[in-house]
Amino acid sequence: MSVSAKSKPAALLGLVALAVLLAGSVVGLFVVPADAAQGDVQRLMYVHVPAAWLAFLSFFVVFLMSVLYLIQRDLRWDRVAASSAEIGVVFTVLTLALGSMWGKPTWGVWWTWDPRLTTTAIMLAIYVGYLAIRSFADDPEKRARWAAIVGIIGFANVPIVYLSVIWWRTLHQPPSSPRSVAPEILWTLMLNLAAFTLVYIYLMMRRIRLARLEGKLEERVAYHG
Amino acid sequence: MERGTTLALVGPNGAGKTTLLKCLATLLRPSGGEGRVCGFSLREDADAIRERTGLLTVRGYVYDELTAEENLWFTARMARLGLSRESLRAELERVGLDRAADQRVRTFSTGMRKRLVLAQLRIRPLELALLDEPYAGLDTQGMALVDEYVREFRAAGTTVILASHQAGEATRTAERTAVLRGGKLEFADHDRAAATHLSAHSLGAQNR
Amino acid sequence: MDVLRRAWAIVWKDLLIEARTKQSFNAMVFFAALVLFIFSFALGPDTELLRRVSGGLLWVGIAFTGILSLSRTYQSEETSGGIEGLRMYPGDVRAIFLGKLLGNVVLLLSVEAVLFPAAAILFQIEMWPHALELAGIALLGTVGFSIVGTFYAALTVNLRAREVMLPLLLFPALVPVLLGAVNATTLVVVGDVMQDTGIWLRLLSAFDVIFFVICIWIFPIALEE
Repeated sequence: MSVSAKSKPAALLGLVALAVLLAGSVVGLFVVPADAAQGDVQRLMYVHVPAAWLAFLSFFVVFLMSVLYLIQRDLRWDRVAASSAEIGVVFTVLTLALGSMWGKPTWGVWWTWDPRLTTTAIMLAIYVGYLAIRSFADDPEKRARWAAIVGIIGFANVPIVYLSVIWWRTLHQPPSSPRSVAPEILWTLMLNLAAFTLVYIYLMMRRIRLARLEGKLEERVAYHG
Repeated sequence: MERGTTLALVGPNGAGKTTLLKCLATLLRPSGGEGRVCGFSLREDADAIRERTGLLTVRGYVYDELTAEENLWFTARMARLGLSRESLRAELERVGLDRAADQRVRTFSTGMRKRLVLAQLRIRPLELALLDEPYAGLDTQGMALVDEYVREFRAAGTTVILASHQAGEATRTAERTAVLRGGKLEFADHDRAAATHLSAHSLGAQNR
Repeated sequence: MDVLRRAWAIVWKDLLIEARTKQSFNAMVFFAALVLFIFSFALGPDTELLRRVSGGLLWVGIAFTGILSLSRTYQSEETSGGIEGLRMYPGDVRAIFLGKLLGNVVLLLSVEAVLFPAAAILFQIEMWPHALELAGIALLGTVGFSIVGTFYAALTVNLRAREVMLPLLLFPALVPVLLGAVNATTLVVVGDVMQDTGIWLRLLSAFDVIFFVICIWIFPIALEE
């Protein structure tokens, strides 16, 4: 078990991710023209949307890994799930914060009950519950089992919550019509999306490796008492 | 262990007797290794084991707000036994609870609770009876009742494991003795006197 | 079927114990009534306002009360030696989930039977003409609440911080139920011809079915030692 050998591909990926992130930021901040209607504030979208996308992707990974764990009872899946949850929380908070920051100049309020934002906030609560219940079990298998259950039920709930909030909002006010998106904006969005995804993968690689080491430590402590 | 025999499991408090019994009753999951109870695997066929095994604990699983008969009826239902009210009352009579059959368990003394728990065990057709500290809190009459039940179990071919920290009590009706101490189990396959001697030495003399 | 008979035995036992002690029922009714009262004071004597929010207030009361009683679902087991007692019996443990679920539903519905009329008086709503519809909404909402509630109560029963974990896990899961129940109730009570309670009833029904299937399926894993 060599510690440094594994980190070479991760380090490489990290550099690539950083590079793409920088590229995306530069393009988003300076190269692409500001939105006609909203001005520079709209640039927040280049971070907000990828963050939201990744927040949901992370959660999907948690769900997938939870199912895999319950079927195979292999702790590896649990480690991936937990790592994804931790990283996902960060993206979720980022999404909410950016959404809020965007909302204030645009609509004049810090918070709106926009379906996607609301669902993201609830997803944060589910994430927190997921991580919280992990802290209550010392036995790795019990912890994995409880977490998997919470992860599965939590994820199953997300689409239902989303639908409910949409119905709730549209019945009270007409839905905001989607505007057509200029190609430069789309491309910048894609660039930043790629950047964020690379960052996610990099962080996952690091976190999973750490989780594996933690797992080994736990085993050793349990065995030797 | 051989089917139909009675084993006394002795050891100091905290040695893990209760834990062992609970593992055998499939209530606790062993952290490692394999186990077979009544021919069934602990990991795979836990349900088959539960069908054939009964556990008697110190407090027992009885509901204070129900009467003795209602508690017994609940046990019968949950264990999928089609017993009539009459047979349940008959069982209560055998443990000496017929007059208290319609009283709520919250009014019972420790001894009465113990008798009810014994009845709960008795109505089920068990291959293995796990008794954890069955003599705790009982008077001479109660202890004689437990002894009688152990003999009945043996007559019916049921294997019995009796756990107790009082070596003398457990070895009274048992054919074999095992001592659990420091995480290790030692079997003693000899007559009672020697078993008591062994236990007393292992544990230090325990006074009532 | 055997599972049903055993579930029924559990329902019978729990309701019998409850009928004899009346512990939960009284506490629940008092607490819910208190919530309704406090809200009335907080919102002021504007009857029109109270009428419009009565649906929401009612379900807030029911939700708080429900969570209160959920932690006690397994309490009767605790005083009798713990849920081990039930786990020791052979047969599918799902009978335990079914039994506890039914017990919770019956208990909560009986509290609502007092609460709805109380709300009608406090908020001056005409409930009687819509009694059947309201009963239907109450049933669907209560069942949905109890399904996830009973499940998570079982999961958290042995945790030290059960009182914190249960609401934390429950809240995100209850969003669709509360949205559905509140909106449906409000529509019925306020009588909006433009909108249709049907969509909310469909949401509630879908939620109930989906989560019943998921929870009862996963239940044995939640109880594993």
